[in-house]
Amino acid sequence: MANVLVQGLLIGGVYGLLALGFVLVFKSSQVMNMAYGWMICILCYILFQIMVPWGIPAVAAVLLLMVAGAVISVLVERLAVRPLMGQSFLAILMMTLMLGTVIHGVIVLLWPGRIWNIPFRPQGMWAIGSIKISPDAAIAFLVALVVFLVLVLVFRYTKVGLSMRVVAADHEVAQSLGIRVNRIFSISWATSGAFAAICGVLLGMVFSIDVSLGDVALGKGLTILLVGGMTSIPGALVGGLLIGASESLGAYWVGALREIVPWLFMLFILLIRPQGLFGQKRIERI
Amino acid sequence: MLPSGVFNRNPQQDMAIVRTKTQWLLLAAGVVFLFTMVLWVPMDWKSWLITTGIYVVAVLGLHITTGLCGQFAMGHAGFMAVGGYTTAVLVEKLGWSPWITLPLSGLTAGLIGLVFGIPALRIKGFYLVMATIAAQFVILFAIKQPSWAGQGYGMRVAQVTVGGSALSQVQFWWLALAIVLAAVFFAKNIQRTSPGRQMIAVRDNDLAAEVMGINLFRTKLLAFFLGCFYAGIAGWLMAHNVRYVHPEMFSFALSLSMLGMVIVGGLGSTSGAVLGAVAMSLVQKLVEYMTPQVGKVLPSAYATSVGPALQLIVFGLVVMAFLLIEPRGIHHRVEKIKLYYRLRPFSY
Repeated sequence: MANVLVQGLLIGGVYGLLALGFVLVFKSSQVMNMAYGWMICILCYILFQIMVPWGIPAVAAVLLLMVAGAVISVLVERLAVRPLMGQSFLAILMMTLMLGTVIHGVIVLLWPGRIWNIPFRPQGMWAIGSIKISPDAAIAFLVALVVFLVLVLVFRYTKVGLSMRVVAADHEVAQSLGIRVNRIFSISWATSGAFAAICGVLLGMVFSIDVSLGDVALGKGLTILLVGGMTSIPGALVGGLLIGASESLGAYWVGALREIVPWLFMLFILLIRPQGLFGQKRIERI
Repeated sequence: MLPSGVFNRNPQQDMAIVRTKTQWLLLAAGVVFLFTMVLWVPMDWKSWLITTGIYVVAVLGLHITTGLCGQFAMGHAGFMAVGGYTTAVLVEKLGWSPWITLPLSGLTAGLIGLVFGIPALRIKGFYLVMATIAAQFVILFAIKQPSWAGQGYGMRVAQVTVGGSALSQVQFWWLALAIVLAAVFFAKNIQRTSPGRQMIAVRDNDLAAEVMGINLFRTKLLAFFLGCFYAGIAGWLMAHNVRYVHPEMFSFALSLSMLGMVIVGGLGSTSGAVLGAVAMSLVQKLVEYMTPQVGKVLPSAYATSVGPALQLIVFGLVVMAFLLIEPRGIHHRVEKIKLYYRLRPFSY
């Protein structure tokens, strides 16, 4: 029981990082990037491509992957999302969903049926007291935690972070303060893309890489987003931990519950607190 | 807009969908054409016709929920699964006639749609999208559990019979077409009734609609019920067409592609929904023809995956192109062309 709970919490840290990729983009540009899951998936396959056929060492490959993630993400923003700015919410949602479909197609085309395990995942089990944990999940959790801390510091103390917060609060105010909103959009999309690369590596360490990873990542990211609140960074972490723990516990009781617990949890939160645990309540006027 | 010199002399004329004798004639000819074309099209196009018919019914349901009432329903394939499994279980396990399960499939899907529609009163926009995606996954999870529903391995479904003999493919198309025509008729007319107009008001601004005295809860639930009812009927058709139900048949990808069809056709118009479904399923068929040619160009390592990959890529690109170039869909473009020819040689 305790084993299961700890393992769930560790994976939950990675889920939290996943949700953070959505939150960053949504906070600055009010766009829900539904292609994010498939971006993570294709980045995993790009990692496979540069590590196995091309033989680039692991550290360099991960760094390259982060650059690739940032570039892909900025391209997505420029080519697909920016032309639709100001259009209805459904149009942008459909655009990113269809982009995800295209990326899915590209993965199916280039790496048909390939399943891959990331080679640098540690083996065996670590024991802390009486609790056994798998080292890949623990490392993934630590990395996720470090990224969170860095992000919080960036948002609090650097100029870029502060201007991102201003843009999130109000585009017009940001513009009149001399912040280039378009550039902040690009920066937040690029950061989110780099996060996608990190998430891909971490998820690949915990699970194995196959084509279903795209839908899995999207499902987890979105449920956490709604549980934690769409614009809240601590909400993403807390939501990730909650979802990770609850799905592990669910799977502990009945194996098949694993895939459905996050959705039920999300529906429950939607019914009692629609804005999420840490979200801001929306006030509407006619 | 009417051509110069043509007037509506009474409200009935103004309300009429089919106004002139020529239009009645064309409509009759079109229906006869649809009923007879199955006799001369090639074999693989017969099954294409039936599949397209099923898409049209399901997309019309999506048109009512999303296009008319503005409630995004992204779990539409889940409700098709409810319809399909309802008829599968009732026909196979209890031995009921498929003709009785036809309305029952729609009703069950509609009632389950009501359950998932209840949150729609409190939440909207992205939150509602998420609730309906959750509906898709919860339903697919639920139908995989009981042993009497195949536990994820699927179930065989009996053929539809008339007077003891099973329907052939051609006859099944006639049945499907009859259902499609009824579905179009009903969907076209619901938006001309009071509940339909209330739905449109809710879509345009639900707070304003509520202030005007429209019962938001009832209107939204009605939209969900009708949309899911259509999905259930489409699920019934799908189950008896394939003669098998399997959770994979009703995947999230199907929900997405139906939403793509509504977008391509044009959100909020019945003919748009029909046009979108037909156009996108035509695109799928064309990609099937294209696949061998593309396979020759690519290295042989990719030969196995070209087909499914191209389907996904082309579908995504077509919908993206529509979003960028003609966000109001084929319907709007057709109307513009019709207007141009009606007013020719004047520009307005």
